[in-house]
Amino acid sequence: MTATGMRIIASKEFSDHLRSRRFHLLFAILAVVAAVGMITGAVQYTKDLSDYNAVQMIAENEDDPTLAGNLAGLKPSILSAYSQMGMLMAGIGVVLGIAMGFDLVTREKESKSLKSLLAYPVFRDEVINGKALGGVGAIALAMGVVLVVSVAIMTLFGIVPNVDELLRVLVFGVTSFLLVFTFFALALLMSTVSKDSGSALLYSLIVMIVLSSFVPIFAYTPIYSAVFGDAPTPPGMSTYSYQQSSSAYTVTSVAVAYKSDDAVDPEALEEYERTSREYMNQKRTITDIVTLISPTGNYQTILGAISQPAGDNTPGLGSLIGALVCNIIALLAMPAAFFGLAWVRFMREDIR
Amino acid sequence: MIRCDHLTKIYNGVPAVDDLCLEIPAGEVFGLLGPNGAGKSTTILMLVGLIQPTSGACYIDGVEVAAHPIEVKKKIGYMPEDVGFYADLAAEENLDYAARFYGLSEAERKRRVDDLLALVGLDGVGTKVGGYSKGMRQRLGLARALVNDPAVVILDEPTANLDPRGVLDYRRIVRSLADRGTTVLVSSHILPEVSKVCTSVGILARGRLIASGDREMLSRAAMQDRVTIDVETVTPMPRLTNPEVLSAEYSQDACSARIVAKHDISGFIAETLYAEGILPRRLAVEMPDMEDILLSYYTEGTA
Repeated sequence: MTATGMRIIASKEFSDHLRSRRFHLLFAILAVVAAVGMITGAVQYTKDLSDYNAVQMIAENEDDPTLAGNLAGLKPSILSAYSQMGMLMAGIGVVLGIAMGFDLVTREKESKSLKSLLAYPVFRDEVINGKALGGVGAIALAMGVVLVVSVAIMTLFGIVPNVDELLRVLVFGVTSFLLVFTFFALALLMSTVSKDSGSALLYSLIVMIVLSSFVPIFAYTPIYSAVFGDAPTPPGMSTYSYQQSSSAYTVTSVAVAYKSDDAVDPEALEEYERTSREYMNQKRTITDIVTLISPTGNYQTILGAISQPAGDNTPGLGSLIGALVCNIIALLAMPAAFFGLAWVRFMREDIR
Repeated sequence: MIRCDHLTKIYNGVPAVDDLCLEIPAGEVFGLLGPNGAGKSTTILMLVGLIQPTSGACYIDGVEVAAHPIEVKKKIGYMPEDVGFYADLAAEENLDYAARFYGLSEAERKRRVDDLLALVGLDGVGTKVGGYSKGMRQRLGLARALVNDPAVVILDEPTANLDPRGVLDYRRIVRSLADRGTTVLVSSHILPEVSKVCTSVGILARGRLIASGDREMLSRAAMQDRVTIDVETVTPMPRLTNPEVLSAEYSQDACSARIVAKHDISGFIAETLYAEGILPRRLAVEMPDMEDILLSYYTEGTA
């Protein structure tokens, strides 16, 4: 492989993205959404910090060590502002990723330029690598600009992050980039397997919905209960569910728990604790797996962890990343898998 | 310059190109003819390194295409049948992008792009390629095939969408390429075009090369040593007796005849008519045109 062909293609793709109206539009929406999210978050952070300071002052005045201790882990973090922004990013960023990747290969097929492109002195892998690199460059630029805008807004609100917070902001940026890149790689894959851009977009949206909405529903309690059974009922307590429905809509759904006055059998209680623990462990495992499969699930888990309130008990960034290693690996592995499949498919593309 | 050595390509068990052996010397303008599905485009795709042969090999300037595709691609210029461009770029931007792959400097690229656009008559066209007609795209495709000043130019249906002026320009360009010693391979359905620009021709049918050579040789072979002579006279003519005559069909009034002979005996017929005092109205020797030659080979090849 020579780098020249890949560099030429990557540079054209990067320039095409930056000149594309689609990119301008989505980037503008992303920037506005990020700014709005950031402003909302900054306002909320300022209010939370003010409340925290007020309560802390009361604790100090009344010399209440319990209240002071309880407040230790509740100091609002600057990253809470990013939490707001991240929720919005999870929607727009995913669309941006798909919009940038879904027609990268199909556009060449539709304009009939693929045959000519492959007839230039360039290897096939340079073509797909160059296209991916150009897209990654444009995404990185977009995310970088959004991150700079977010820090600028924070500064405007008089919020100055320390080194640890800046590192967390950076982690947020990298994670957001990986989320967008995941869906970009997915769209690129669909672009290599589809005959036209319309089909590629449709398949990308279907997989996106499956990964972002369909898979996570297995972690929701009602769905989980329906698939894996209800949580064990405590001894001496019975739960009845009553549901009346017509063919068109559900009218009533009531769950009633009765507590018996009889003494609880200790063995039954022990059995309940054991089955309950097993049930919760199984549920946690399923939830973890579901989260790992869903890129947005991983993104939100990482985002939630890095934006948790700062305080004496807050884990450092290093230990936080250690705890999130599975989510980080999953967020790296998924785009790698999508890109790998796109690469293999493109290398085997039948040119006629 | 171009050599196919038992070249075979099989799609789903069906041979698209079947044991093709072909050699095109340097400086030749070679026409590759054949009906739809004959394997012309598949042969070309293997020659430009876009698909791998199932067996056999093809060589450009002695370099095996499948083994050294990049080296070969640097030597060739290719215009596909369905020529495509980036619609949102201007002609010079499309050509400049193509030229970058050949490692040309910016100044060299600029010079070549300007020259080529002038050559194909697209200089001064300001619109993006998306607004081009099919004929303009075809012209631009020809320019792109020449952007690296290749030793071998491969053109797939180059005149399919050209207007008469475009066809004349195309012929001029191909002839000037041939004059400079460039080898040109033209695949075309437009038979008169092939006969006008090609110095030799190969005919493909069902993936096999059923005939190749210069035009005269092919027409001799197609005629299978037979000449057809149409004779029309004012008054009835006598039956012609000549050992060269293979068959003769006369009209009821004996004023017209279609003679098939081993050689051209039009002189003998004229003398006979003169001796008999018969005034000839028409005496024509039928020479097969390219279409006749091709059809005779297609019939033979698919039989």
